Amino acid sequence: MSSPSKTSLSDVSARYPTALLVLIAARLWLSVTDVPKHLQHNQQLSSPLTSYFQLQEGIHLFKNDIDPYSGGSFRHSPLLLSFFATVLPDSRLVASVLWTLGDVVAAWALVQIWRTRQNVVQSSRDTLVAASYLLNPYIFLPTLALSTSSIENALMLLAMMFACKKKASAALFTLSFLLHLSLSSIVMLLPILLLLINDPHSHLASPQPMTKPLRKLWPLFGEFSMYTVVLALISTLVAGSLAWIPQTWGATLTLPDLTPTTGMWWYFFTEMFDHYRPMFLMVFSVHLIIYVVPVCLKFQHDYLYANFILLGILGTFKAYTTLSDPGLFLTMSVIFPETYSYMRHPIVTVLLHLHASLLMPLFHSIWVTQGTGNANFYYASTLVFACANGFALDDAIWSGLRIAIGPSVEGSHVVQE
Amino acid sequence: MHSTSKTLILWPLTVLCLAARVTGQEVFDEKLSLRTLQDGKVESTFTFTTLLKGTLPRDPRTLDEEDLSQHYKLFPLALGQILREYAITELHLNINAGNWNYDRWGYPEEKGVGTGAELWAWLGDGATKTVDERWRGLRNALAGLFCASLGSLDELRTTSPAETFTPEGTLPTWGDSLSHQLRHASLPSEHVCTENLTPFLKLLPCKSLSGIATLLNPHRLFDADWHGMGVHVLWREEQGIEMRLTFQSVSDPLRSGLHKKPDWSMQSLFDRTITRTCPVARTSEIMVLLPQNAAYHIRPEPSSVSGSVALYDVASVEKPLNVDLLFHESLTYPLEYRSDSVPFTVRRVLLGSTQTHGQLSVTITNQKPYTVQALYLETMPWLVQFYLHTLQAKVDGVTQDGIISNITYIPPVAHSRPTTFQVLLTLPAQTTVHITMDVTKAFLRYTEHLPDAQRGWDLPPAVFTPLEVGPLNLNDTNVGQKAEEKRRIYTSTLLVDLATPDFSMPYNVIIFTCSVVAFIFGNVFNLLTRRFVVVRLEEDKGKKE
Repeated sequence: MSSPSKTSLSDVSARYPTALLVLIAARLWLSVTDVPKHLQHNQQLSSPLTSYFQLQEGIHLFKNDIDPYSGGSFRHSPLLLSFFATVLPDSRLVASVLWTLGDVVAAWALVQIWRTRQNVVQSSRDTLVAASYLLNPYIFLPTLALSTSSIENALMLLAMMFACKKKASAALFTLSFLLHLSLSSIVMLLPILLLLINDPHSHLASPQPMTKPLRKLWPLFGEFSMYTVVLALISTLVAGSLAWIPQTWGATLTLPDLTPTTGMWWYFFTEMFDHYRPMFLMVFSVHLIIYVVPVCLKFQHDYLYANFILLGILGTFKAYTTLSDPGLFLTMSVIFPETYSYMRHPIVTVLLHLHASLLMPLFHSIWVTQGTGNANFYYASTLVFACANGFALDDAIWSGLRIAIGPSVEGSHVVQE
Repeated sequence: MHSTSKTLILWPLTVLCLAARVTGQEVFDEKLSLRTLQDGKVESTFTFTTLLKGTLPRDPRTLDEEDLSQHYKLFPLALGQILREYAITELHLNINAGNWNYDRWGYPEEKGVGTGAELWAWLGDGATKTVDERWRGLRNALAGLFCASLGSLDELRTTSPAETFTPEGTLPTWGDSLSHQLRHASLPSEHVCTENLTPFLKLLPCKSLSGIATLLNPHRLFDADWHGMGVHVLWREEQGIEMRLTFQSVSDPLRSGLHKKPDWSMQSLFDRTITRTCPVARTSEIMVLLPQNAAYHIRPEPSSVSGSVALYDVASVEKPLNVDLLFHESLTYPLEYRSDSVPFTVRRVLLGSTQTHGQLSVTITNQKPYTVQALYLETMPWLVQFYLHTLQAKVDGVTQDGIISNITYIPPVAHSRPTTFQVLLTLPAQTTVHITMDVTKAFLRYTEHLPDAQRGWDLPPAVFTPLEVGPLNLNDTNVGQKAEEKRRIYTSTLLVDLATPDFSMPYNVIIFTCSVVAFIFGNVFNLLTRRFVVVRLEEDKGKKE
């Protein structure tokens, strides 16, 4: 789009790694300054399920023979725990490097997805795609805060990349690992399985019903279940008991920690009447899942797009969101440039995001730090944020479907009946 | 004729009951000890002890069977029934108001001086009713008996720190498989007042009509700088069940400001004198700790003086008895308060201005010329979450290892179980140890907040138990304390300010959130289900023309 069209391939191939290196270096430099310290308690950047501070506490307890899953606020997967407690030294610098590396891998995976979708080895858009991930403030701020949601994003993109490249085992394993880090990512199971048996190229403009038989899904699903069970067994071994299940997955379903996030759950369940709590917890959890089948049916001609839409659903509606969840959705729109000209209200969406992202930290601070505002201020800004995500989702679905009708002709108008 | 036969049948039964009843011989002792503290205040401690000789606490395994009948002469039936109903082996209840100042006042005569209510009990396991069920029953029964909010000492506050709250009596061995369990809970926001004292007095055999209990005048006691009452029940092997009712107060004779001498008399402290003896009391004595470094005059002449303690036998002295201690010179305030008996001073604060996280900071100054070891116990409600990886100990500003050891940590469970955090501290001689730990503050459901949510939550005091306090101090100013007994040091309570939601908003929030969800869902639903159609706009153009 914005990249100059008359660049030779050699220029591009030289520019892509240079730009990437500059971005990575800048990121690393930021992560070793004092900035991460100020961000580590920021509740928009890391939720109770993804906070590095809680992870450190869990590692400390684990190393001192106290079961971190016997209570407390440690809600990270035992897989992460074992990884950090055994392989990696407990140092901030290592963590900063690791998190930056996670972002680089994610950006690389996104470029790979883009290339596979375009069926090219290299393109002039590569730099833009990578930069849109690395420069998205919704993504790099959580990384600076060392929120594990950055790792989840990287795994999500890796799973999609493997799915695009038809590497079934790698995709399913990555997805099952991701499921252990975040239960909500179960939403992505069906679209990724479908992506595995279909091609990732853009068919948005010429929708065709899926011809591949669905029974091909079963062995893939079986493989996924096997990985999940194996990882669950490993988790149980690491944790020493099954206590990790209610503490990690259970938290997503029962919301024991009502710490404010950017999502819609926390204030709803803070203000919920006690006798309605289980009912609404069920409703909110089920609500997340009901989108999967309709979206996959509607976008059966282009499952990568279905993946993209469901990422938008997750970023808006899942429990314990951080900024990096909607950030991934927004960034991923960069690989669907064909839909841009059909968007109805991109300006409104951008302005809503601008509004919400400026007000959220401000209102959060005047509520819990300054004490001059109350919870409603922050709640209102998260509602605006939800609307912004809703608008983005709306436009993504509209433009993804509208593109099939073709460019509008003078004197006619395309509407839905 | 008919009734006579009934009586005849009942007689042997009655005899049987008498033989099997719970009570043995009962003995009642009362004692008041008075001492002038470093800062001129007067500590008075009332102790009323009832001993049920040759009795055992109820075996929890017999809880399903009908209990033996209870006949007491002196022991209060109301308390006896509670103890047997829930098979309590040992019970300690303290309700205090104010902060005990260890630096100025030294150790109190009764150990439990933590601000607010504190209840702990040792219960035998092995009954069909679990320990927790009986604990719940116990605190509800005591709440009713003492008109205090002890019912709020629920799962949110119950812990079992058995190393700090060791049994003061003996725990009976009913069998090898039978173990005893501790339940402890404290409620720092509870306040002691007249409504608690009235049921307390009802437990005494002479009420407040005669004997030392006459002096328990609520108008004066609750006007004191520090006051607190305690109920202790324990079992002493080869003696029996002992119930000790205590009332401690620290009054300020200098408060009136008329003179600068810390003179006191019973009349000035309690506005009463003793006119009658309690006839059922075996002993009834008043102990006055005489000042060491000041010229004084005491009236009337004590029954006996041993060392620095003047003793009055209430039964034999002339009544009305009004002990009066007069100082010849006005009080010279010490430049620095330093207790000889308390090995270190503790200051505990919660730092940080935000409602999301903060730092717990404990400063301990060891004034002794030798290393002191102490157990440090926190029983924190889940509202404040500790982060052990940030736990740090500095000795005079320098980070040092080996200060903190033997960490016992039971993490909290959100919305229910509190944290139990206990460490062993090694405090080097004449240093200040500074311990810090990061904490986060919880966000509560709107129904969990207190009615006065903006006031914040009172957090229970930390408890320090000094161990191996170097060479034993024989000049201990406390009277009647056994040296081998474990002492406890309670810190002051904390207040934590939690973020509050808007309490008027539940309906609005449910409506707003559901509306946004419905709006997005509706949009997605529309987009996915409705067909696209191309509409020609020429008709409109025609109309316009």
